[in-house]
Amino acid sequence: MPKLQRLLYINSESTHPQSAALSAAAYEPVAGSVTQIDPTSDGLPYESVHAAIIDGWRLIQAPDVWAGIGSDEAGEVIGFQFILEKIEDFTA
Amino acid sequence: MTTAAITTDHRLTDDEMASFVIRGYHVVQPDLRAGINQEIYDALEALPSNPGDAVLEEIPQLNDVWDAPEVVGSLTSLLGPGYEMFPHRHCHRNAPGTPSQQIHQDNLMDLNIEGGQIRMPDRVDLVLAMYYPQDVARNMGPTCILPGTHVLQALPERMASQGNFRDQYIASVPAGSVVILHYDIWHAGTANTSETVRYMLKFLFQRKSNPTVPSWNHDPTGNSAIRTRLESENPMSMQRALSAKQKHFRTRMWNRLAGDQSLDLSYRDKWAGDWPR
Repeated sequence: MPKLQRLLYINSESTHPQSAALSAAAYEPVAGSVTQIDPTSDGLPYESVHAAIIDGWRLIQAPDVWAGIGSDEAGEVIGFQFILEKIEDFTA
Repeated sequence: MTTAAITTDHRLTDDEMASFVIRGYHVVQPDLRAGINQEIYDALEALPSNPGDAVLEEIPQLNDVWDAPEVVGSLTSLLGPGYEMFPHRHCHRNAPGTPSQQIHQDNLMDLNIEGGQIRMPDRVDLVLAMYYPQDVARNMGPTCILPGTHVLQALPERMASQGNFRDQYIASVPAGSVVILHYDIWHAGTANTSETVRYMLKFLFQRKSNPTVPSWNHDPTGNSAIRTRLESENPMSMQRALSAKQKHFRTRMWNRLAGDQSLDLSYRDKWAGDWPR
C-alpha cells in the first residue's frame, strides 16, 4: 500500500498551538474525496493544534503572524491557520 | 413590492432584540394553518424550473407565511413599521447529493456600488428571511450560520479551506420555520446527504425609515442588563481583535435601533467584585 499524505487544517484562536481550535477540515488522499461543512458533525476532532500533535499529526505550516491578525481593509478571516499532516498507508 | 401590515402583538422583547444584535439571526415558528407547508412543498415540486423573483406569483400561499403575525412582529421589531418586501427573492432547491456551499455573505451585485454591496455593520436595514416548508434534518442540507459575523466582512476564498466551525449554528428546524438573518451574516447551504429534496425560500425585507424610537417591546429599565450582554456575550469564539470589533458594532447597532432610548455608553467599572478563584 502506498504511503500518502493526509492534511488537517486547524484555525486557532491565536498563534499559540494550545489555543482553542475554531475550525477544522481534513483532506484525505482519496480520489473523489470532498471536504466540506458537515452539518451532522458534533464538533471538531481536536480541541487544539497541540491535541492533534499528541495524536500523531505533524505541523507543516504555522500561521503567518502578520497576515493572521484577522482584520484588514479587505475583510476578516476567523482564526490563525495551522496545517498538519500524517503520512499513512492508503489503498489506491 | 408590498408593504406589510403592522402588528404589535408579536414584537420582540429587549432580550430577543439583543440576541439578534449579538448573533445576527432570529428563528420564528409562526402558527400557520394546517397543511400549508405541504401545499407549498408540493407546489415547489411541481415547478418545471426555477421561477426566480416570480416565485411569489407562482406560489401565492407564501404570502400567508410573510403575513403571519409572528413574522410581521419580528420584522417590525427589526426593520420598523412600514418595512417592505424587496423585489429579489430566491428558491433554493437542495437536491440529494448537493454539496456544501462555501461560507459567504450574500451580495446583490449592484454594479453601481464598488464591490456590489454596501455592508452595514451598525445598522439593520435589510434582512434575509428563510422559510423552510419541510422539516430540515441535519443530513438534508440545513443552512449553516456563523453567529455574530454580521458585523464583519467575509473573505470567502481565504476561508474556503476551513471546513466546520466549532460554534456554527445548523438550522435544523421544523417545517414552517422562518430564520431571519441580518443581510451581512456569513452563512452557507450545506451538503444534502439524505434522499429528500430540501427547499428554502429566501426573501429580503428592507427598512423604509430611520429609527427614532424602539420598534420592539422595549423596557428602558433593563438597559444596564442589555449593555452587559452586548459587551460580554460571545456567540462564536474568534480571535480577540475580532471580538472587540464585534462588541463595538453591537452597541452602535443597538443605539441606532433604539433612537431616543439609546444606551448610555459612558465609562463604568466592570471589574470590581469578587476576586477570581
